[in-house]
Amino acid sequence: MPEARHCTDCGTALQPDGLCPRCLLLAATAPSGSGGAVPPREVPTPQELAEHFPNLEIGELIGQGGMGIVFRARQRGLERPVALKLLAREIAAEPGFAERFAREARVLASLAHPHIVQVHEFGQRGPWYFFAMELVEGASLREMLRARSLSARESLAIVMQMCDALQYAHDRGVVHRDIKPENVLVDRSGRVKILDFGLSKVAGAKPGDTLTRTDQVMGTPHYMAPEQWERPETVDHRADIFALGVVFYELLTGELPLGRFEPPSHKVVVDVRLDDVVLRTLAKEPQRRYQHASEVKSAVQEVGLPPPLPPTPAPAEVPRPAISRGSALIQALRARTATRLAPHVEPFPLALKIAISLAIFLACGFAALAYLLLLSA
Amino acid sequence: MSAPQPFHTTRWSLVLAARDAQRPALEELCRAYWLPLYAYARRSGFESHEAEDVVQAFFARLLEKRDLAAVGPEKGRFRSFLLVALRHFVANWRDRERAEKRGGGRVRSSTGLDLDLPGADARLAQMAPATDDPERAYEQVWARELLRACLEDLGREYAGSGRGAVFDELKDGLQGTLGEGQVAERAERLGLTAGALKVALHRLRTRFRDKVRERIAATVESEADVDDELAALLRALAG
Repeated sequence: MPEARHCTDCGTALQPDGLCPRCLLLAATAPSGSGGAVPPREVPTPQELAEHFPNLEIGELIGQGGMGIVFRARQRGLERPVALKLLAREIAAEPGFAERFAREARVLASLAHPHIVQVHEFGQRGPWYFFAMELVEGASLREMLRARSLSARESLAIVMQMCDALQYAHDRGVVHRDIKPENVLVDRSGRVKILDFGLSKVAGAKPGDTLTRTDQVMGTPHYMAPEQWERPETVDHRADIFALGVVFYELLTGELPLGRFEPPSHKVVVDVRLDDVVLRTLAKEPQRRYQHASEVKSAVQEVGLPPPLPPTPAPAEVPRPAISRGSALIQALRARTATRLAPHVEPFPLALKIAISLAIFLACGFAALAYLLLLSA
Repeated sequence: MSAPQPFHTTRWSLVLAARDAQRPALEELCRAYWLPLYAYARRSGFESHEAEDVVQAFFARLLEKRDLAAVGPEKGRFRSFLLVALRHFVANWRDRERAEKRGGGRVRSSTGLDLDLPGADARLAQMAPATDDPERAYEQVWARELLRACLEDLGREYAGSGRGAVFDELKDGLQGTLGEGQVAERAERLGLTAGALKVALHRLRTRFRDKVRERIAATVESEADVDDELAALLRALAG
């Protein structure tokens, strides 16, 4: 029987025609009008960029998305590694972009917070509008979700850090608008870094634009608050709180909160008091949600963190870089959130016990056999 | 799994509302969803012949029953209703089989339902439901069959209006993103501008989404249940 091929995005077995049933169904659940991201075709080489960015040593391409492409780079003189994000030319070509960029980029660069990816520099060089940002060595929550499930404790730790970042930005009038697991990074020391704050506003995203735009800069539909679709002119920082809620739910349960979804405590072992917190962030009307990210954090703190898991050996490596990275980061996250434990005594491994029992059994068996042979001789 | 009449005229909600089970309507629903039942039977340990017998006999019994009022809360979803009914049927089947063997002879029921049972094993093998559990296999095959039927419907619709080439070129765009390069290539093959292609893709996606919702709506009691059923199907595929 031929091996079924699997979807590179979600791992589900493909249909005979090569399509992924889960991806199809997910696409069918999205609100109407949403399309898919169209990455820019033209990817410049590091050599081409070098002439536009003399102060940077351009390295490898590390990311490609709906809004643009990202290169690893190093600031000469400072010798500081950065991520160079180049906005897609189709976006920059839109009318009104230059003004928006001038207005918004300065605000984004002024955001200085441990849980927000720092913008060091921005501007235009030749045809490229760019941001030079803090380079985060780590993985996104999407990769971590794919690698293995996060414990409740780790999920809560992540959410609280996200709340800090969101509250800080909201206090300065900046709304992210595109919070999703792909935009939340975790660095090697287990620290959350939120990416692309306010970028969709710079790019001029408007729901309902999908037909005319060549790219898709809107948020992934499953994380978007209802008002982002229905009354986009009324959107404020509370849309970020909704998206935070979707991510929160997904971190805890591994699933998206679709339709009449079950509260997290029905799906995984978590404190039932968290149900109310998650459900309130996911309220359809903005006025029924928590009004501030800091309130979400307080609510989570009141429920309290569950006890840390005992250290486990690293899971068996599968030859996929994302999984190994995700697992390593989960270790770091655990280390960050674990309290001091009593010296942990590793129980005598069951496999070893079985092996030894089997060996003894066999040895007895052979001894018995030998004895019988001896007797019959 | 193609029905002779347009699928959307048969709704589970109507079947439930009717005082007597409407045999033709129920038949049509059964004809559309027998593969998940077969998957359940196979995963329950029945060999192909016997799994066939089980499915045919199950339908025969279901279609003879006039009174659906006795069905419990799961009746709101045709998918769940069928599963529960099948579960009981299979449990009783084994007892019945034992009794029949003692009586000397097996009676093969004929429902008159035209099911492509010999092809079923091959189709199940292609789907590779990743589970040994009969109920989870049922759910996965149900979700996959529903999608396959929607795609088939949509393909037929496009072919019927002379847009078969558009469907073939763009259907993989239904599940995700197309790069700028792919858009350009396909636009050229179809003799369209890139802009026109994007419009066509958008229309295809909308039509697909509508079809999926339509087909699901035909298996649930009310429109409000469609999103829940979608979520349930997504969970089934995650297994």
